[in-house]
Amino acid sequence: MYFFPLSILAIYAVLFFILPDRILFALTRSGKVLLSMAIPLVLIFTLMLLINLFVKPAKVAKYMGKDSGIKGTLLSAAAGIISTGPIYAWYPLLKDLKEKGAGNYSISVFLYNRAVKPFLLPVMVDYFGWLYVITLIILTFLASIFIGYSLSISITVDGT
Amino acid sequence: MKIAISADGPNLGANVTHRLSAAKYLLIIDVESGEFEAVPASNNTNQRGAGVQTIVTAVSRGANAVLTGYCGPGIVNQLKDSGIEILTGITGTAKDALEQYRALAANTGLRGDQHRAASNMNSKDLIIQAIKSSVRQFVNLLPVLLGVVLLIGLFDAFVSRGLLLSIFSGNAAFDSLWGACIGSVFAGNPINSYIIGGELLEYGISLFAVTAFIVSWVTVGLVQLPAEIAAFGKKFALLRNGMCFVIAIPVAILTVLIVNFIERYLS
Repeated sequence: MYFFPLSILAIYAVLFFILPDRILFALTRSGKVLLSMAIPLVLIFTLMLLINLFVKPAKVAKYMGKDSGIKGTLLSAAAGIISTGPIYAWYPLLKDLKEKGAGNYSISVFLYNRAVKPFLLPVMVDYFGWLYVITLIILTFLASIFIGYSLSISITVDGT
Repeated sequence: MKIAISADGPNLGANVTHRLSAAKYLLIIDVESGEFEAVPASNNTNQRGAGVQTIVTAVSRGANAVLTGYCGPGIVNQLKDSGIEILTGITGTAKDALEQYRALAANTGLRGDQHRAASNMNSKDLIIQAIKSSVRQFVNLLPVLLGVVLLIGLFDAFVSRGLLLSIFSGNAAFDSLWGACIGSVFAGNPINSYIIGGELLEYGISLFAVTAFIVSWVTVGLVQLPAEIAAFGKKFALLRNGMCFVIAIPVAILTVLIVNFIERYLS
């Protein structure tokens, strides 16, 4: 978690002795970017709090894979959207669900819809606008269904 | 009736773990018959997400109660929401724990004082727990985010606009392809892709490239591919990532075309 930012700081430190003017420019630019994110970051924290208070990912995840109809699709997508933390932390859980009968379709829909993160929407809207964000979310959901079906058909036809 | 015991081994002689998240196995035991099944708990014991994984395992295996050494109030609440009772303060072997539970069930009608104490969380506890979780999530997000912001500063200072525009020519298909390629290599919290994407837009890079970059950042994971193969198999992981890479391009093109169309229509 800290390796990446520390590496960048090390680059700053080295370059400061070679090209101090450019590094000062880079710092000013970074400061401006950070400042522009202040309000979206406050909104992010608020949304995180609300989601942690009212949404229980495990409760939604347990219904995943019950069927691949509209309800199953919506539940898998919802579980993907509200899932937090690194994806690899979810692999054992999804593997277990798969062993319990959740299909490739449900797993795939879950993984694809992780692209939509409600608590990050303030930053996304700040950069790209509401229209763009809503369009992308709808297309992401539709793409997840397409990939889910294509994947389950490909694997079933192949028999593996 | 079934119970789940957090244990450090796959049999009834294994010790009950001091924390739910430290379980190597979850022993799902039929209280009446004594038959049991040992379910590997998680590859990431003691890490974030291990508790949630244990809950889902317990729920999916039909357990009515979870017995463990200690369990955080957030997990207690989620178990309670899922209709599962939890007994903490359990020590000794899984077999001892099973006997304790049988004795408790016989004396108190399947409900123990420990369970009542643990599950009676009031709304104040819930809010404190939610604040703690949110602060932890937020703090975890910050280091890489600050790194990305500093990287953007460096990018601004050292990379010329001309160089970028020579790669991203403005052609919808090629820009989307390039965006998807770069997004597939990188991974991590989506917020970083939004920030980088937003800054690339300021450089004059097309929205096609930026959208494909954002979409593939989360949906395609070359870095996580080995872990995905281990979890779901090679065929599933390769096919899924390949399809997600390909679909990122039409998704990007369609998104931009739809947005442009609606904006033109509205104006």
